[in-house]
Amino acid sequence: MLDFLSRLEILLNPTVLGQVIVNGISLSAIYILVALGFTLLFGIMRVVNFAHGEFAMLGAFAFYHLTKDLNWPWMIALPAGVIGVAAASLVLEWLVFRWFYQRMFESMIGLLGLNMMLIYGGVLLWDTHERNIPAASQEVLMLGDIIIPIDRLIVVVIALAALTAFYLFIRHTRAGLAMRAAAQDVETAETQGVDTRHIYKVAFFVAILLAALAGSLWGQIYAVSPHLGERPLMMAFIVVILGGMGSIPGAALGGALLGFTESIVGTAFGAAASAFLSFGVVIVLLVFRPWGILGTPEN
Amino acid sequence: MTQATKITGGVLAAVVLVVWPWLTDDRFLHHVGVLIMLTAIGASSLHLIIRTGHVSLCHAAFMAFGAYGSVLTVMSLGLPFPVGLLVGTGAAALLAATIGPIVLRLTGKYFVLITFLFGEVVRMAIVENVALTGGSNGIFNVPPPHPIFLDTKAYYYLALAFAAFAVGLCARILGSEFGRAMNAIRDGERLAECSGVPVIRFKVIVFIIACALAGMQGSLMAHYNKVLSPENFSGIISLNLVVMNVIGGMSSLWGALIGAVFMVMLPELLRGYVNIQHIIFGAILFATMAFMPGGIIQAARHVKAMLSAKPDAPAPPLARTGAAE
Repeated sequence: MLDFLSRLEILLNPTVLGQVIVNGISLSAIYILVALGFTLLFGIMRVVNFAHGEFAMLGAFAFYHLTKDLNWPWMIALPAGVIGVAAASLVLEWLVFRWFYQRMFESMIGLLGLNMMLIYGGVLLWDTHERNIPAASQEVLMLGDIIIPIDRLIVVVIALAALTAFYLFIRHTRAGLAMRAAAQDVETAETQGVDTRHIYKVAFFVAILLAALAGSLWGQIYAVSPHLGERPLMMAFIVVILGGMGSIPGAALGGALLGFTESIVGTAFGAAASAFLSFGVVIVLLVFRPWGILGTPEN
Repeated sequence: MTQATKITGGVLAAVVLVVWPWLTDDRFLHHVGVLIMLTAIGASSLHLIIRTGHVSLCHAAFMAFGAYGSVLTVMSLGLPFPVGLLVGTGAAALLAATIGPIVLRLTGKYFVLITFLFGEVVRMAIVENVALTGGSNGIFNVPPPHPIFLDTKAYYYLALAFAAFAVGLCARILGSEFGRAMNAIRDGERLAECSGVPVIRFKVIVFIIACALAGMQGSLMAHYNKVLSPENFSGIISLNLVVMNVIGGMSSLWGALIGAVFMVMLPELLRGYVNIQHIIFGAILFATMAFMPGGIIQAARHVKAMLSAKPDAPAPPLARTGAAE
């Protein structure tokens, strides 16, 4: 018990606390980016994208090669890599994903297969060793006792900008309206003149865009390897179960909960403890509210 | 097929399985034989769970409980192998009895997600718990069940006996009244419940039996390999068992067995190309689910029906994949 309290006491140190908050926000933002795309694909196409983490991996590698090999400044490399990956992924949409639309069970197993193909294709292409993306900035910002690394701040700002853009897109454009309609009821949306085939492509593009962006930011904080996608994928699962599958506000809430839990518990008790805790919470939630905090129960 | 041809076929298959190791001295073939037998236990036990409409992605976690339970009993407590096997199998069954009633209430997609996460948590727990499990390094010098089983051919017969027991048990369950209740649960859980099938209780029983068999396989595998590491129980292993069921076809136990033979032989043919092997498995999973969700068994039935049908008769529809939403 004393040990428990003394570990918690670490968090009261302002330097540590600042770090915990910055970590919490950046982790939350990345988890939300991954989970939003995942929940979007599920909500609209009823596809459980087990390969979602691998698009984050591809985004990270695109960012890595553009900054390291072509020496592009990160401000150009990041959007170029992310859009490039999302555009190239439309080929996969045509080859793989379109067979699984509205076929949830088959999509899970089939896309697990795609997941394996992408991971081990990545291993063949890039080997398993970990690489580092050079930090956008080495400087730190001092706010009293709190030290904030600038590159973490950049990650937070980019992620928040992307989330705002996504929100505006979904809420205030015709394509966004069509997506929300398709998510509610595909057949009714079709009778109202929504071209669902086109909307599926747009939704897929947006989902992969968010995943690739999350991967790039993740790769900048941690390291880039073909296995990069595994953790974001697990986190996306936890986030969407927490928030409710198919629910966009749920993904935001779940991501924030998970990001801060991991930052706080991880700092005080270690990474394993925070992983076990998140899993325990998810199990308990599934027993009492399988549709998540903000989701709606089916039938 | 008449009863007589079935019996003749069964006897013939049994004779072949018992006699073939004597026709060759190739230790490698014996080794492949052991792997096929042990894998068949995992594949057929997972098939039981799949037949209730749930695809579990944490079967390897139960193999891990069986393996570590058995190896620790034998190596740390110094008890004989049969006790270890029982402890390992019991540990897997106990774990299944603990989480089963919780996770089996979930519908298809949540079940898949939660078992995927659970498998990962068990693997993490093994890696973290260095004092007990040796962490990522694993445990070395695991003793064989008995010195005579150091011979691969002898181990083959041990594996064959256990595989026959496991597959026989699965076939017996599927063929019984209980198996028909399982089919009813898969096809319509609420309807089954209304017809008086105690759905959750039946699903939990099936889950416990299947996971206990997985634990048994884990124990036998550990004492055969003589090393034990968390990587033997990662998500990929669970996924491979799913692949076996998917390519064989999820509607029949034969499918799982065909899948097990195929999935053990293919890596042996592709030795040295481990990454390509995973890519091929991935492609098979995708292609089967996209174009032939009934697997090899369904495709074979389809072709057979087309060949024997009269020219104008329509081909029978492909059966549903068998998993409830």
